[in-house]
Amino acid sequence: MSYERRGGGNRRRHRDDYDDRRRDSYETPDDKLKIAIIKLGEVDPVEELPRLQKQIRDLVPVNVANISEAFRIGVTEQPYKIPYYAALLRLLHDRPEGEVDSEGPSLGRQVLEDFWKGFQAYLDKLAWRETRLCIHFFAHLTVAHLISPESLFALLQAFTAVLDEFGVSHGRAKRAAMCAAEGLMIGGPTLKLHSSSGVADIMNAIQAFNDTTISAKWLVQPIIKIFSDVVKIENGDELLDTMLYALETLNDSDFAQTATSFPQPYASYIDPDPSITPFNIPSVLVPPEIIELDGLSTDSEEEAQVKKDEWPEYFLRLFDNEVTPDPNTPAGYAVRSALLDTLDIFEVNRKECARLLLEYPKWNLPGTFKPKPGAPVDIEPAPGKDWQLESTIIETIIGALLILPESSHKSVYYISLITELCKLSPSTVGPAVGKSIRKLYGSLSEGLDVEAARRFAEWFAVHMSNFGFQWVWKEWVPDLALTVQHPRRAFMRRALEFEIRLSYHDRILKTLPEAMQAPDAFTIAEQAPGPNFEYDDPASPHHDAAQSVLNLFRGRAKADDVISHLDSLKTTLETSDEGHINVDAIVRSIAVQSLLHIGSRSFSHLLNAIERYLPLLRNLASGGASSTGGSGNAEAKAGILTEAAAFWKLNRQMVGIVFDKLMQYQIVDPTDVVTWTFINGSTVGQPSELAGPLSLSAFEWDLMRGALDKANGRVMIARRKVAALRKEDDDTRARAKARANDNPMEVDADAKPEEETPVVDNPALTTALKAFTSLTREQKAALSRTLEGFVSSLAPAATDSNPNPHSRTVITEQGWNNRANWGKDEWNAWETWGWYRQFCRAYSPYLRSYSTTLTTVSFARFQGSIDPAAELLQKTFNVAIGQDV
Amino acid sequence: MAHVVTPLDQPSNYKDSQSRVDRQRQNDLLSKSTTLYIGNLSFYTTEEQIYELFTKCGSPDDGGGIKRIIMGLDRNTRTPCGFCFVEYYTHAEALASMRYVSGTKLDERIIRCDLDLGYKEGRQFGRGKSGGQVRDEHRQDYDPGRGGWGAQAQRLEIERRREVEERYADAQEGPGAVAGGGGDWKEAEGVQAEGKKRGRSPEDEGDNTRMVRTRLDEDIEAERM
Repeated sequence: MSYERRGGGNRRRHRDDYDDRRRDSYETPDDKLKIAIIKLGEVDPVEELPRLQKQIRDLVPVNVANISEAFRIGVTEQPYKIPYYAALLRLLHDRPEGEVDSEGPSLGRQVLEDFWKGFQAYLDKLAWRETRLCIHFFAHLTVAHLISPESLFALLQAFTAVLDEFGVSHGRAKRAAMCAAEGLMIGGPTLKLHSSSGVADIMNAIQAFNDTTISAKWLVQPIIKIFSDVVKIENGDELLDTMLYALETLNDSDFAQTATSFPQPYASYIDPDPSITPFNIPSVLVPPEIIELDGLSTDSEEEAQVKKDEWPEYFLRLFDNEVTPDPNTPAGYAVRSALLDTLDIFEVNRKECARLLLEYPKWNLPGTFKPKPGAPVDIEPAPGKDWQLESTIIETIIGALLILPESSHKSVYYISLITELCKLSPSTVGPAVGKSIRKLYGSLSEGLDVEAARRFAEWFAVHMSNFGFQWVWKEWVPDLALTVQHPRRAFMRRALEFEIRLSYHDRILKTLPEAMQAPDAFTIAEQAPGPNFEYDDPASPHHDAAQSVLNLFRGRAKADDVISHLDSLKTTLETSDEGHINVDAIVRSIAVQSLLHIGSRSFSHLLNAIERYLPLLRNLASGGASSTGGSGNAEAKAGILTEAAAFWKLNRQMVGIVFDKLMQYQIVDPTDVVTWTFINGSTVGQPSELAGPLSLSAFEWDLMRGALDKANGRVMIARRKVAALRKEDDDTRARAKARANDNPMEVDADAKPEEETPVVDNPALTTALKAFTSLTREQKAALSRTLEGFVSSLAPAATDSNPNPHSRTVITEQGWNNRANWGKDEWNAWETWGWYRQFCRAYSPYLRSYSTTLTTVSFARFQGSIDPAAELLQKTFNVAIGQDV
Repeated sequence: MAHVVTPLDQPSNYKDSQSRVDRQRQNDLLSKSTTLYIGNLSFYTTEEQIYELFTKCGSPDDGGGIKRIIMGLDRNTRTPCGFCFVEYYTHAEALASMRYVSGTKLDERIIRCDLDLGYKEGRQFGRGKSGGQVRDEHRQDYDPGRGGWGAQAQRLEIERRREVEERYADAQEGPGAVAGGGGDWKEAEGVQAEGKKRGRSPEDEGDNTRMVRTRLDEDIEAERM
């Protein structure tokens, strides 16, 4: 049920807003009151408060539970209104004039007591955001003298206690620290009066935890200096750091700045009747995290963990402190956390989210943001504030989008949200977006993390796709003088490639200045992405052979017939003049390319071609007659991937799609794709000018990530299947047992409960467990192969084939400072290091599960080595699995 | 969480007008649906463009991804007529598309997404009198992305049009005309183990692959039901 009203006139509706999705029929008076409370402040919250208070009191009989539920919804789903809800509750504590019976608790107190029960329920569920927002509310109420400071202290200490738990996860500790810190920021003025040592204790506890996160921070900084251990970066801040800086500033002035950072509408009210004793928040314990033990260990190592790790959160700064607030200050922290909460809560409706973000200034103190252009300037800008709203919003969204190793929501959410903001207010949001793009582009040469750069390119392309691909590319023309693999040039290429995928080649080419269109600018592909059937040309060797195969496919010949045709083709080739060449490879090439040719018209055609000729593909994957059966022949599978990549060399999107479906149909395994990618990936669809020694760029990373995610996703499915079957089994047994117990004939059912339930598992479960075992093995192999690939790319032995000579120079300070002179091999090496970091932090739960095997296989060779590359490889891995301290 | 605003991923009043299932059953299906109906596409938009946008809502590490895309075709001309179905492996991905993609642009048109009951044989074809979508029967405006109102097409799109017109000329009807997209991972070694009763020779390979094939083909068929 929703309390949002249609109409109202203040909200623009687009034609694509076809959301006639609800029809609320009858509303009871209680419902109406609840809606009125939730909608507090549609026009002016301060003005509305007395009226709303009266409305609440006028509805008799009083339904406390209904009122407090409205407060809970208001507080947890509209956190920007919390100060006003605190003020409302303060008003409800007054005895109405002329009330005869002044016995018993005030209405406000009754609501507060009921509200607290809701808080306890949030805490029991470990609903962290709701819990934290309720603490905001309690902290305001403490300043308003409705809650005792000692009980708020006790509450906050319950959260700092979490930080001392043995082996506490970063995510849990971070959330607990936020609860305590934000409660302290808001409640500080009263708390410090009560006990300044208590305030110091809370801050020290958070500081102590923050000190333990230094190496984790090193791995997730968005601007990286590989050689350096320093975790403080320019143009960016870590969440806990900003929180602590803001707290220190507040504490230094005895929380005088709380009043200039958080609205306190209740501050102007006279103090409540001294006869009222403030509410004591009952003491609470933060419940432990529930660890699901499904007992699915598959080998001697621990089971593959599913839960994703959480990391310190760095937010990039794109603007100066005069333009957007510095989050290290109390007011700046308040703004950012309010915007982040809005992003999070309204993820379900990005259009409403955009509208609420643009309305945010109304909920903060007057003068915090510059007035809208054209609005009457009747408010003095607050000293040190007067920030630009749109830049602040965009900076916060980009910051959230670029969190490493991954954003909390899918990146397309943040992208669409920015699109909505631009649609709502093009003239003010548009420039902020443009400036952000330029700023991020500039940071590409200052060490912007490769994964952040990839997401930047993705955002850029999707954004442009929504706004007519209008970007002034001309301003980046001078950068064409940079070396071809320089991050800025790589960005331009990648962004254009992504744009073409969403549109088409001619359309995008048209948007570029001539200098960028030129083939030797290596910025946009020379031709439209299309198939590249190597046997098409009548002059090419094996053209006729390929035509014969193609004709079979076209005539929808049976797979078996194609296989026998290929066998005879092989015989012909073997007996021909060039008998020494690799006949298997040629036949495979002809078959795979011809099949892809049949399926080249569209994604659906590809699926049809694969499905129709699965037996043929399996035959090819097993190396034909020389098959070893089972999961195929590694060389043959690599060959299939090579042919697919060659066929689609002008369309790297299709390479990814074909690889994905070849894995889906179990023609190749994720491990095959990983292995292939390290060896061959960088040769796909690139002019030879871009190729170099063994290295990994964003495209290869995407292929590899596709393979790893496939392997991990399969384990996930298998795990769920086993869990479901186990539950089914348990239910069946429980039912059988219950039936036995109900049966009066079996008097002694209770006496022998164990024998009643035979422990024979059902065959479906046995199969599911077997699949789970196979898939975990494959998962481990894929991860191991990836780690191996990185190790041999980044710390190559002199004897390795095609080693990158620069993998060691780019990780030194001297090397980095010399980057203006780097060529393509240096940048390739640097990017490869970047993907290694992403691999370690994004897949850390899996790496931890298999760490014993992985380190033995990949790092044992470095025993006693003083190779800096070897050391960095191991250090990065150890930080990722949390074994560095 | 949805007291203050209406989530964008709720089923709308869109429905398959020819579906024979009752409302309750439809709601049940929608609450698990992995398929989206995508509307207001340009006739020139390709499956790969659709794939590129919708893959951003995919969760491959959760066992998801795009399973298949079924392009809506004009019944008579076998050319795209402005709609398609995108089928994911998981329901969550379909919901994510509703929240993040529906109402944004693809190929410079605002597209709309709706949860769908699931693709059924024959639904890839338009239901309008002239073979296309019903909405294009009654459309009064000039819309170059949807065939204009005459044979005029924008200059840049002429080449694209030619490709588009040929692309689906081979589209089939009847069971098996539309690919499944690939199902869950299946153990293949079981078959192999049975074959190991005696020494293997190259000749055995044919039999084994045939056994595997039959099994998987059945699975694909089962999926279509």
